[in-house]
Amino acid sequence: MQKINKNVVLALLSLISLVFLLFQLYYYRFYLSHKNGAVFSKVRGIQPGQDSTRWHVVRKFLGLISSHNIPVYLIDPLILGLVDKDIEQIRSSPDGPSPECKYFCAPRDFTTFALLDKTWKHEVGLFRTAEKMGFQWLKIINKDPRLDGMDDLSGTEIPLHYIFKLASHAIHLVVFYERSGNYLWHGPLRLKQHMDRKFVPFRKLHFGRYPGAYEKPELLLVSIDDLKVQIPKNPSGFLEEMSHSRFLECRYREARAFFQLYPDDASLDAVEFRKKAKSLLHLAALTLNNLGVKFWLSSGTCLGWYRQCNVIPHSKDVDLGVFIRDYKADIIPAFQKAGLPLKHKFGKVEDSLELSFQGEDDVKLDIFFFYEEDDHIWNGGTQAKSGKKFKYLFPKFTLCWTEFVELKVHVPCETLQYVEANYGPDWKVPVKTWDWKSSPSNVQYNGVWPVDEWDDVIQIY
Amino acid sequence: MDEWKPNPTIKPHKKRSWYLAWKYKLMNQRALRKLCQTGAVLFLLVTVIVNIKLILDTRRAAYEEEEESAQDYDDEMLNVEVPRHPVSNKKVLDVEVYSSRSKVYVAVDGTTVLEDEAREQGRGIHVIVLNQATGHVMAKRVFDTYSPHEDEAMVLFLNMVARGRILIFTIKDEGSFHLKDTAKNVLKSLGSQVAPFLSWRDMWTFVGKKGGEVYGEKHAKSPALSTWGDPVLLKTEVHLTSVEDAECHWPDTELNHRRKRFCSKVEGYGSVCSCKDPTPIEFNPDPLKDNKVFDVPVAVIAGNRPNYLYRMLRSLLSAQGVNPQMITVFIDGYYEEPMDVVELFGLSGIQHTPISIKNARVSQHYKASLTATFNLFPDAKFAVVLEEDLDISVDFFSFLSQSIHLLEEDESLYCISAWNDQGYEHTAEDPSLLYRVETMPGLGWVLRKSLYKDELEPKWPTPEKLWDWDMWMRMPEQRRGRECIIPDVSRSYHFGIVGLNMNGYFHEAYFKKHKFNTVPNVQLKNVESLRKDAYETEIHRLLGEAEVLDHSKNPCEDSFVPDTEGKVYVMFIRMEQEADFTTWTQLAKCLHIWDLDVRGNHKGLWRLFRKKNHFLVVGVPASPYSSKKPSSVTPIYMEPPAKEEGAAAAVPAVAAAEQT
Repeated sequence: MQKINKNVVLALLSLISLVFLLFQLYYYRFYLSHKNGAVFSKVRGIQPGQDSTRWHVVRKFLGLISSHNIPVYLIDPLILGLVDKDIEQIRSSPDGPSPECKYFCAPRDFTTFALLDKTWKHEVGLFRTAEKMGFQWLKIINKDPRLDGMDDLSGTEIPLHYIFKLASHAIHLVVFYERSGNYLWHGPLRLKQHMDRKFVPFRKLHFGRYPGAYEKPELLLVSIDDLKVQIPKNPSGFLEEMSHSRFLECRYREARAFFQLYPDDASLDAVEFRKKAKSLLHLAALTLNNLGVKFWLSSGTCLGWYRQCNVIPHSKDVDLGVFIRDYKADIIPAFQKAGLPLKHKFGKVEDSLELSFQGEDDVKLDIFFFYEEDDHIWNGGTQAKSGKKFKYLFPKFTLCWTEFVELKVHVPCETLQYVEANYGPDWKVPVKTWDWKSSPSNVQYNGVWPVDEWDDVIQIY
Repeated sequence: MDEWKPNPTIKPHKKRSWYLAWKYKLMNQRALRKLCQTGAVLFLLVTVIVNIKLILDTRRAAYEEEEESAQDYDDEMLNVEVPRHPVSNKKVLDVEVYSSRSKVYVAVDGTTVLEDEAREQGRGIHVIVLNQATGHVMAKRVFDTYSPHEDEAMVLFLNMVARGRILIFTIKDEGSFHLKDTAKNVLKSLGSQVAPFLSWRDMWTFVGKKGGEVYGEKHAKSPALSTWGDPVLLKTEVHLTSVEDAECHWPDTELNHRRKRFCSKVEGYGSVCSCKDPTPIEFNPDPLKDNKVFDVPVAVIAGNRPNYLYRMLRSLLSAQGVNPQMITVFIDGYYEEPMDVVELFGLSGIQHTPISIKNARVSQHYKASLTATFNLFPDAKFAVVLEEDLDISVDFFSFLSQSIHLLEEDESLYCISAWNDQGYEHTAEDPSLLYRVETMPGLGWVLRKSLYKDELEPKWPTPEKLWDWDMWMRMPEQRRGRECIIPDVSRSYHFGIVGLNMNGYFHEAYFKKHKFNTVPNVQLKNVESLRKDAYETEIHRLLGEAEVLDHSKNPCEDSFVPDTEGKVYVMFIRMEQEADFTTWTQLAKCLHIWDLDVRGNHKGLWRLFRKKNHFLVVGVPASPYSSKKPSSVTPIYMEPPAKEEGAAAAVPAVAAAEQT
């Protein structure tokens, strides 16, 4: 009896365990499908792969937009990726009917378009029509960063993103603004408290996690999947640009606090230096951009941007950083051609390279080359008279865009770490005496150049 | 299995021992089995628990996922919920009104909406307009009816207030001396019993509905000329109406939405809020052909003079070739009403936290506005700068469109201005004529971006310097010998009477009689000859054909210039060196033109019109045009009146800052 009982219990328990196992499996599957299929999994279940709903929504949206004369262009990375593969064919036959819905039916949750702010009036009529057509829409507005400068201005908030939802598909319309420095900017997508968090799966949006900076694109009118739409002329170039478009706004509020503590130098000398530094930076940026050399604000110039959103008037030079992998031999002739003669060259491409160019009236342009190691990045310094070498260590960083003296330039995204590595925890306090060999908190003695190499690694003009 | 088979060869006795062994073995195995069973049970239990936990976990994770799906995208600013006042369904407002010699106040439902106990100001009749449905204050005015003409302004204002609004009146100090019968009758028509008999230093409060009932009135007579009436405090109740009754029923359009929002908030703008046939708020003037300034941003600098701003924007939006999208209104301070006006016209407005005081505040506001303009329109090469107290000529943009290329091409130019300092009714004539002048008139002008960004912005006066921005811009360090282009007949009109450096007398003397162009599409005639060198040729040609006036006559007399039309005359005055304006100032004074400082000169030459003749004044010998003087002519010298020595220093300071 006892034995049987035990067996029964055992069997029962096994059964229960099996049930649980099955349940677990089922639940996990459900969870997985929920995660991938997002909101629209139902639709996909009916029409796997090919789905004309998306195409219809896009067509409706384009109709809506063109009825209000609003010029938009396609920036959806998924579609542009597909388009890019067939770009030659699409370019050559702008009107040809397409046999199958290849691009706009591809599975995705959103289709992303861009709109240039200045090309349309903010009219209410658009939304009325959109509602009549069955669209639900969401508008995301925020502060206008162009007014966020040193003076306390508060304008009306500007629209940064629109989302139009119809049936199971949504259109994400990103508003681009032109900013000083001749570039386009789009804002971050931030929901206000009262907004519907589940309007669309916001996390899957391709734009909006961070603000972004772009060059003004050249556009091309094409017909894909029988829809006429503007796309960037060079989709792969746009996608490449998109992958590192993150933009950092200058910390205007902190800069104002800084100037409260340390009033700005308004002397004529300071004004003059700032003017020269600005024009030197513009010239350097033009020259390096023409060569396709990626650079960023380094040392004092970076500190000036980060701390006070301006050139530090007592810094006396302009500092740029360049990864050594981006080094080009043309750099020196290009600068000479631009009217900036080489002042000195320290180190060599393999080690501690540093170039200095003479700008107008004693303002110097320093270009430091950065060497990447596994866990840090460094650049070198050389003392001309002794041949001593120094090494400045930085934690690894990536590059972001920012605006500085009406220029779109790179800065390290992890600016605080970068500045702290260079200037220590007291970087907020202005220091007028600075010794590049001992003041930086990340400097290391790095031996001496062998005497027979001096002619090569220490060149002063 | 083999072991389990009984061995057929085995003996029974052996069999038993095997059985024992087997039994023993079995017993051992049972223990094992028990152990296994317990183990299994335990394992199963654990599985069950783990399973349940897992289910709960996934469930929660899934739930959180949904919850958080947008968390990255949350606005980091915590939107502090503004505690909204519970929508009061109260139909009755308690109103308290106090009138006395030194203090007035008005409280609505316990909230003070007016309190004035400042000495030496706020004299006269204070008027408050309340919305009859919400009880919100829509307008607040004070009319100093002790002084002349203020009662006319009050009548004008009261006539503009829509029917049904609640009006509250209270007198501070004195309000009857220049309160004429017309005004008294208007007050009487509102239901006041006392108004017709208001007299010297009476105290008076009144609450009533326009075109409707009277809620209360109190009055205290002054017992004697030298004393005031006793303070009066009126407490009364006002019954609110429904919102529908308080609003007009305009057709449902986007424009009327704006109108509705505006009209439910503020009062005193007249027909824009009238229910029947309201005045338009969109103008659609004719576009300009080949408009070169369509993409030029327009910055309107404003303070807290919403009625001025309203008038200004109306004229601006009616000018041909205007592009409303390029207009930004910069309001100095967080004032609501100017912003309401901006929104009424569907324009964009920006408020600026006031920095510093007086003139420096204006100057900081200018800087912020200009910087913001070039930030908002990074492509722009120019900006048009306007002020809130200007009327804009119908051909303002046409004038700029025809001349703006000069500012781009001629380095010797500082600005283009719509204002001619010397262009009065009797001294300006030709709307198609332009001049080059060494002074910067402002009052509607075009600024080059490069000038601002490279020169002015970096060294703009800091907030602690109480400078006028325009005086600063006129300083030689900034102007550096460059000139401005101005029209003979101004394209703007300065109507502001109240302002930082402005008062009625000053306006009457220097601005009221200014000529203002009203002709559309004027074709400018000498644009190319305004370039630096061409202008010299032009001047020499003019001087060559000019008739020299009779220098023995008094230049102040009307007969100095013959009664002709369309001729060119020249006179020579004494001007020892470049900065010697003694005679010019006296001449300007007697000609009733701008004499507070020197304006409108070009190398010691002034150009104006007298009796429809072009009239040139050359300063000898400082001007390079002195060579044109016939040797027989002695330059006229006019001595300044001796007693003004002391005052002279103070006057330019007043003049300095008139443009605010």
